[in-house]
This record gives sequence, C-alpha cells and structure tokens, in this order.
Amino acid sequence: MTTTTMHPLAVDYVDRLDRAARRLPRGERRELVEEVSAHLSEATDPGMSEAEIKTVLDRLGDPEDIVEAHWPDEPARPDRRGVHEWTAIFLLLFGGFLVLIGWIAGAILLWTSRAWNTRDKLIGTLIVPGGLASTVVVAILTGTKRKCISATGRPTICTPGPSTAHSILEIALFAVCVVGPIFTAVYLARRAR
Amino acid sequence: MVAINEGVISQLRRGVLEFCVLALLRDEERYGFDIVRALSAADGLVTTEGTLYPLLGRLRKEGVVETTWRESPSGPPRRYYRLTPSGHSLLNAFTAEWMRFRDSVNSLLDTGAIK
Repeated sequence: MTTTTMHPLAVDYVDRLDRAARRLPRGERRELVEEVSAHLSEATDPGMSEAEIKTVLDRLGDPEDIVEAHWPDEPARPDRRGVHEWTAIFLLLFGGFLVLIGWIAGAILLWTSRAWNTRDKLIGTLIVPGGLASTVVVAILTGTKRKCISATGRPTICTPGPSTAHSILEIALFAVCVVGPIFTAVYLARRAR
Repeated sequence: MVAINEGVISQLRRGVLEFCVLALLRDEERYGFDIVRALSAADGLVTTEGTLYPLLGRLRKEGVVETTWRESPSGPPRRYYRLTPSGHSLLNAFTAEWMRFRDSVNSLLDTGAIK
C-alpha cells in the first residue's frame, strides 16, 4: 500500500497509533489507522524534509491522545463486573455439580447481565453445558462401557472392549469437558465490561 | 490578568465540532483529509487534527453520516463521507439552537443586556 512510500517517521507514527488503538474494537481500530495513514500519505511526500514531516505529525497530535479522544466517555464507563457477573461465572463453572440446577441458574444470570454481548453469552452457554460437571456425565457414560471385570474381581481382557481409537476419543471428550468450561470462565471474566 | 480556563474553551470547541463537520457535509460529500484540512483552516476550531478521525467514526456509528469508497485521481481510493437524512435534521436542529444561543450571547457581550 501507500505505507511503502511513506517517510520512516510517518510509518513510525502509524505504528504507534496502531499500538495505542489496541483496546478499541477491531473494526474501529482498523478504520482509524486507515484514515490516519491516508491523511499522512496525502499530507506528506517522500521528498519532504524531516522538519516538514514533523510539522505534519505535530498537527495530527499524539497517537495516544487521538485514541483517548475516540470515546471520551469510555474511561469513565463503570466496570459492570459485579456480584451478578461473578456469580454467573462461578455457577457456570461449578453449578452443574448441584444437580445441574446451579448451572441453569448461572446461565440465567449470564443471559440477564448487560456486561456481555450475545456472542459471549452463546459461548458461555455452549462451552460446555453443565460446566465442569459435564466430566461426570462423560465418566459415567464411558465407565458403563468398561464393565469387563470378571467375577473374581480381576480385570480380564474385554474382547468386544473399547478400541484404542475409542479410548482416545473418550480422553479427548474428557479434556474438552475440563478445558472448555475453564476457558469459558476466563473468557467471560475478561469480556465482561 | 485573569486567563481563561483552557478547559472551558476546549469543552466549547468539542461541543460544536461535530456540528461543524456536519455543516461541511451539508451540500457535498468529502473525504477525510479534505474535511480535516477545511476545519483546520477555520481559526481556533481544531487543535489536533488527528482527533477528527475518531469523531468521523463516531458520527458514522451514530448514523448521521455514511461513507462510500471512491476512486481518486491520484493514489488509492478514498473514503467519502456524506450526511444521512438524520444527519440533515440534526444539523438543522443545531443550527436553529445555535442562532438563538449566538444572538443571546452576542447581545450580552456587546451591550451587557438582552436586546
């Protein structure tokens, strides 16, 4: 793009702006950086002296100030992570052990909170329904298939027993049921605003 | 001598700036750099040009301006801004309000009384 023909100082400026804009939503960050880059390629040309480039950059202002001006109300916005949100996260993670009711309560809290958008709420609900308690379900389901213990109590070789592929699948499922809910809890805690 | 609190002036500036952008777009569409340079030419209105770009983004998000990409005679395509119908009515409402405000303040500053 045009950046290739821009003065190194201007390129550096765009980089600083891009870094400063990290906390903005992706689309807005991209648009801001695009517009300021376009400004720089209109306002400067490669033949300009360093002093002239600096004048252009001074007129633009500090990259950090530009981002700060983005939404003047943003820093003052209250943190919405209250008891409601933390309870939701806790119940989604552990509530399933209370005969699933705890998890359902967590899901209700999740959907009634204003701290998350719909995408966050879908992730919170679907990864993984029941939270960590889903591992119990997996354990029971896989456990019933393994009743290949002989009358003497010694394990015998199960002829129709689970194949290796099958047990790998079970382990993977188990891992998903552990990692999934933990991932979601961290994700929700970070996304809540 | 008493200096004017710079915060007051910058608040005043910030309050009217978005309507100045809308006014620039009343009769024609313009691209970002063009808007910024036009506003910078006005005395005392803009201190840092860069902050106008976030403002343009916000105006679009609020639905008072919309954008289209157009080829430019030189260089890459440009993003053009123009008023939406709700932008036009916002500008009209502000214009009426501003006239009243301006007349009252001017009158007080000139004569120390309301005409």
